[in-house]
Amino acid sequence: MKAIFKREMNAYFTSPLAYFVIGSFLALTGLNFWNINLVNRSIEFSNTLNSLSSFLVFFIPIITMKMFAEEKRNGTEVLLRTSPVKIWKIVLGKYAAAFSLFVLIVLCTAICPVILSFNMMEVTDITPVFPWAKTIGSYIGFILLGSAYISIGLLASSFSENATLSAVIGMVILLILSFLETIGTQLGGTIGSILVWISLSSRYSDFATGLFNLTSIVYYLSFTFVILFITIVNIERKRWN
Amino acid sequence: MIEIKNLTKKFGQINALNDVSFNVKRGDILGFLGPNGAGKSTTMNIITGYLSATSGTVKIDGHDIMAEPEAVKKMIGYLPEMPPLYTDMTVKEYLNFICDLKKVPMKLRKSMLDDIMYLLKIGDIKNRVIKNLSKGYKQRVGFAQALVGDPPILILDEPTVGLDPRQIVEMRKLITSLGKEHTVILSTHILQEVTAVCNSVVIINNGKVAASGSVSDFSMKKGEVSRFNITIGAPKSECIRLLSIIDSIKTSSFLRMDHNDSVFVVESKPGMDARLDINKVFSELDYPILELRSVGKSLEEIFIDIVNQDAREKEAFD
Repeated sequence: MKAIFKREMNAYFTSPLAYFVIGSFLALTGLNFWNINLVNRSIEFSNTLNSLSSFLVFFIPIITMKMFAEEKRNGTEVLLRTSPVKIWKIVLGKYAAAFSLFVLIVLCTAICPVILSFNMMEVTDITPVFPWAKTIGSYIGFILLGSAYISIGLLASSFSENATLSAVIGMVILLILSFLETIGTQLGGTIGSILVWISLSSRYSDFATGLFNLTSIVYYLSFTFVILFITIVNIERKRWN
Repeated sequence: MIEIKNLTKKFGQINALNDVSFNVKRGDILGFLGPNGAGKSTTMNIITGYLSATSGTVKIDGHDIMAEPEAVKKMIGYLPEMPPLYTDMTVKEYLNFICDLKKVPMKLRKSMLDDIMYLLKIGDIKNRVIKNLSKGYKQRVGFAQALVGDPPILILDEPTVGLDPRQIVEMRKLITSLGKEHTVILSTHILQEVTAVCNSVVIINNGKVAASGSVSDFSMKKGEVSRFNITIGAPKSECIRLLSIIDSIKTSSFLRMDHNDSVFVVESKPGMDARLDINKVFSELDYPILELRSVGKSLEEIFIDIVNQDAREKEAFD
């Protein structure tokens, strides 16, 4: 597992991919920060994170697209599956690498709330207390949401031999998932409320409004776990094709 | 060392392997010979645990690949048809990653990698990125990967494909020398490779084992003295005339004159022994038969025979 993690981290930073993703995500963060916090004079960074969370649908599949697709194309899948390593360790190692890159990006954005907290007077007219708890809660939700998205991205990557295709598959799945809330609300009734309950984004809004909901945390973690499990099964299945 | 029993593999409706069984003894270099698409790679993929058989078992040193995959995988070094390389890594980074993957203890690593790189002559390029290497070097790095962890069994899927003639010779030498301490399965569709490197051979065709045995006694395998060199103390024209009237001879051709004796190579018709008839005819006319030596079929003829015969059977069946 450690070997896979190390190798994936290396692969991220020896290719332009990681730099591209970090750079463009931070540019988006800056833009949203400027628009939501600076122009509109708000000290709520959670709003900015909320707005950024919809972009994860596109960013996460780019982080994960190569993970299994590239192995297949390079023929290294044979190497991994004939090495004395269990499949779940391979999947977990890859997940850990994608998750670490994601957390690294998220940590970079933390400069924004820090700037806000030091310059509250310039931003707002009144003298408020900086909402640290809400901001941190929001970050935790953001990272949990990312973790669930990463698991989907990994699953998508295990379906295809082509990295670009697997990124598209991942984005489509995530887009459908993020529309579940809207669809559910429109439908109403039992099915509607089930869809809203399943929806990853509806749970995220809890965190964004400062609600620290244990059910949501458990939900995100179980979601990640179940999707990773399906990924493992999907890879194991190939032995029997 | 390696026991393969009744291996069958179906890809959907297609039967890639059909009841394949053979054994490999410790220290053998087994040539796994067959035309393209015969099922060589599928068999190797099953032995190494990359694929699972539809039915049948593979046992390595008594351990079943399905029951104890990790123990078995640890014993095997595998070079697939396409060397499994991470092209964005340098050779050294790649081999270190393989050490991690195969859990080679830290303190053994340096000397093991040095030995392997020396053996494959890739020490000079260890700091180069793999994607910039030539095909021959890539193949050697892939081979190096198989040797990491010092597995007792090496499974090499067409290791010489795409190499230049000099590299092929070197690769064969290397495999021969590794064969002294390893059990090797070497797949190839090139016959000369088997005769040059291997001491036993399994011929596979259409997913079935068509023949197997040791290379040295392979020519005797068919149990018939169908072809022989014969030296007769008679003029050439006389020999040609007499040989042409013998019924049990399929073909005869003149080889050379040895002083006043004629040397022919003769092939009997299937199921007949022309030696008796020749002896009778020539001794009646007092021409002595000075030498008679069977020349068994070459491996190549057997290989082509088997493949052709199978193709004919298939046509008849269709």
